[in-house]
Amino acid sequence: MDALKPYLLNALVFLPLLGTIIMLMYDQIVGKNEETLRRIALFFSSLTFIASLPLIWWVGDPALSVNVPWVENLGINYHLEVDGLSLWLVLLTTMLMPIAILSGWTSVHNKVREYLAFMLVLETGMIGVFLAMDMIVFYLFWEVMLVPMYFLIGVWGGERRIYAAIKFVLYTMVGSLLMLVAIIALYLLHGDHAGGKATFDMVTIARNLADSNFLTSNQQMWMFLAFGLAFAIKVPLFPFHTWLPDAHVEAPTAGSVILAGVLLKMGTYGFMRFNLPMFPEAAHYFAVPIMILAIIGIIYGALVAMVQPDMKKLIAYSSVSHLGFVMLGMFAFTDMGMQGSLYQMLNHGVSSGALFLVVGIIYERRHTRQISDFGGLATPMPVFSTLFLIIAFSSIGLPLLNGFVGEFLILIGTFNSAYSRWFAALATTGVILSAVYMLWMIQRVVFGEITNEKNRNLPDLNLREKFVLVPLVILIIFMGVYPSFFLNRTAEQIKQIRTVVEKNKPNNPVANLK
Amino acid sequence: MQSLNLNYYYVLPHIIVAITGIMSLLFGVFNKQAHRDLVFINIAGLVTAGASTVRLWNLVTNNAKDGPLTAFSGMIVLDHMSLAFIFIFLIVALLSTLISLNFLEDENLSPEEFNSLLMFATVGMMLMASAGDMVMIFLGLEISSIATYVLAGYRRTDLRSNESALKYFILGSFSTAFLLYGMALLYGATGSTNLDAISNAIKSGNNLITKQPMTLELLYVGAAMLLIGFGFKIATAPFHVWTPDVYQGAPTAVTAFMASGSKAAGFVAFLRIFVITFAASYSFELHTTWVNILQVLAILTMIIGNIVALSQTDIKRVLAYSSIAHAGYALIGFLADDWTSVAFYMLTYSVMTIGAFAVVSVMAGQGDEKTDLESWAGMGFKSLGLSIALLVFMLSMAGMPLTGGFMGKFLIFKTAWDKGFHIIVIVAVLNSAASIYYYLRPMVTLFFREENESNPIPLMSWTAYVTILLALAGTFYLGIMPGRLFSLLDVAKDVIK
Repeated sequence: MDALKPYLLNALVFLPLLGTIIMLMYDQIVGKNEETLRRIALFFSSLTFIASLPLIWWVGDPALSVNVPWVENLGINYHLEVDGLSLWLVLLTTMLMPIAILSGWTSVHNKVREYLAFMLVLETGMIGVFLAMDMIVFYLFWEVMLVPMYFLIGVWGGERRIYAAIKFVLYTMVGSLLMLVAIIALYLLHGDHAGGKATFDMVTIARNLADSNFLTSNQQMWMFLAFGLAFAIKVPLFPFHTWLPDAHVEAPTAGSVILAGVLLKMGTYGFMRFNLPMFPEAAHYFAVPIMILAIIGIIYGALVAMVQPDMKKLIAYSSVSHLGFVMLGMFAFTDMGMQGSLYQMLNHGVSSGALFLVVGIIYERRHTRQISDFGGLATPMPVFSTLFLIIAFSSIGLPLLNGFVGEFLILIGTFNSAYSRWFAALATTGVILSAVYMLWMIQRVVFGEITNEKNRNLPDLNLREKFVLVPLVILIIFMGVYPSFFLNRTAEQIKQIRTVVEKNKPNNPVANLK
Repeated sequence: MQSLNLNYYYVLPHIIVAITGIMSLLFGVFNKQAHRDLVFINIAGLVTAGASTVRLWNLVTNNAKDGPLTAFSGMIVLDHMSLAFIFIFLIVALLSTLISLNFLEDENLSPEEFNSLLMFATVGMMLMASAGDMVMIFLGLEISSIATYVLAGYRRTDLRSNESALKYFILGSFSTAFLLYGMALLYGATGSTNLDAISNAIKSGNNLITKQPMTLELLYVGAAMLLIGFGFKIATAPFHVWTPDVYQGAPTAVTAFMASGSKAAGFVAFLRIFVITFAASYSFELHTTWVNILQVLAILTMIIGNIVALSQTDIKRVLAYSSIAHAGYALIGFLADDWTSVAFYMLTYSVMTIGAFAVVSVMAGQGDEKTDLESWAGMGFKSLGLSIALLVFMLSMAGMPLTGGFMGKFLIFKTAWDKGFHIIVIVAVLNSAASIYYYLRPMVTLFFREENESNPIPLMSWTAYVTILLALAGTFYLGIMPGRLFSLLDVAKDVIK
């Protein structure tokens, strides 16, 4: 097995791409058969998932890392690595992708080949973002991923898909191009510091930054802002969230699953990978404003979710709220808060991905997402309703389910942080509000009398749909009862980041805020 | 006793291309049948010229210590910059030859004159690249411009094509007048038309003929005139107004040639006079002055180009405004005194622009009828290959990684940021973010709209196919493996003293 290690990360990145190429060539060889195309896509995404499983045990193994010079005179290296920070996010991606492909099995009939090709390219991009250890490679995957998502929303999306697709791309581009400037600036400053040995390698730069901080406070602040804007738009942190409801609602089910499950995590991952360890001083300056924005996001997202008549929109706004928790825990700068933050990223990926699948399942039956069109689904669809309930509970944060672990860690971490305890107190209201909007939706959709005759004879889940939902539900329970399986593998990395941040704490952050 | 120093070897690529042009003309006279074979004459000529350019490049690299190589008593300068741009012109000419064949055959226009004009225009551009004297720049400019005026009006019976040619001619002459006036004033101030001599005069502060201190007003006004003249040629705001009309009306193959070749030629002469002759080491004040002016021009150009492009509905006009915006990005390389990044940018820009116009010429069908974006609704999946090619070129122009456009922008931004031009880099970056809107808009029409059943699938000739494939390969090559070119250009930074 050891002989495979050096190839594993490359395989993860390029397997989906290989699938794309085979699919695009396929119809010239055999002809267009939707079923076969779907199987090919499912095969390659499942293969990627299986290939990614050994990472759980191999994480941190230096034999895994891939590092070859790419553009030598600019110091760009093709450098891939997996560590505690990226491990679970990679697995989340590889796990969600086959499920997403399975979820569109019967609902997408238009241009199936292109649809699946874009899905697989998207997977390549997402895995690449999490594995990249060179800033240019990171930027490359970050940007390349936009294209398939743009098409997934634009071609296979709902009514206002064109507007949503363009909005999504424009928002992301503004942020990411400013990030590119910051990347260039960091590269040049690092080059000056390292005596002409300029490199885009994140590991090298982060190490040199930790050894001797060559950035002035002012430079740190600007770079924090430039990187931070790109990531804040992706997260999305209030007030940069407005693209999210549009993109989520208009995207096809699989697109929403990936968008909520993985794409949003790229923002929070970016904060943890770049902003905290590289610009720790600035992180302290901006911690309070970001926490305030996070709390506004938590409460605002929850309140807006509460009044949504459309289920998909409700879940979209609940994402704003949940990602607020992630940001809050991260900027608490305590082990628990940051662990919880990372854990909550996974939780949100699993549970909101599952929620979008649930909506997709009933949308396929009734072609509506309005809450008022449903009611009493428990009678015709008992299995579906049970699973829906568990997923909703996980999103609320019921003990023994995954959401609880994440939110609890975040709230404790925030409470024990150096900042005001009010943050934790206010954030807790978000937990209550999430129970309000989720349970209220459940009540109106699943329970009560059947108000609409069309719902009386809806078929329950078929085998394919069970394959889609059951693994996620099992994961939800497993993550809820055995979190240390996940947390043990991230603890060290989180500790390192926290130590760096702690070490660079300015004496009087408030005075320096001016 | 001064030797004449007629070193023909240094202008070998120019000679080869000129002979190619004459040959295609003669070939047409003696052989009325075989139009298609003309393409091969051009290809053979251009490839030979390319090979000789590579040889000359090695010669220059090996002679780097002995100072610049000159021929024809300093009229011709042989250095890395001229050769790099000559190479770009050869690529542009090659791709333009390939895409033009299609429309010439379709519309029964004679390819002999077209091809020879194309070659002569290319020779003019090459002369501009290797000019060591203002007179030579002017000659090269005229040779290329006059040929291009004719090319723009090549579709003789088409009103738009005529309009385009006339507009181009009048505004081109107008801007050439500025250039010429500027050159005259510069001569008045310094006493020479030789660029090397001008540099020395500026450094010493004395007129070379009178040996008296030069009149600085003449120098500055002359430089300003030159700036305006070149501003017209490369279409920087506020001198850009002619571009959209001319680009729209000219046959698409010619537009591709103008947008890439003529623009790059303007850039190389611009670089030669401003970045090299007016370098900071000769006169700090003059350098600061033009850098400040150019900074404003670059910002204006990017913003105007991008904003106006947002509201265009005709794909050729979109590309025209995008080419204005690109001139703005490339100007940033001037500020950083780095010709290599400008040359690399022009190379990537030329490849993707020609690629995009090649797709447009196929999609627009016979007579360039369908250049309105609306008429492309829902064509994306029907002609998937073409649409994906267009997508790649558009993304490359927007600066998406993995494509040449990204590496070009990246290099420019990096050098400019390194030299401390922070604000303009941020402006440029925000502009590229906005530009993604109109670069992706053709995709909206192509892919996101309902299919229009009546639209036929566009037919593609093998030449168009080859052009698009070459341009695609070039775009990806420049984006994925630019390392070799970067190291070649790194060696070649020595032109600026």
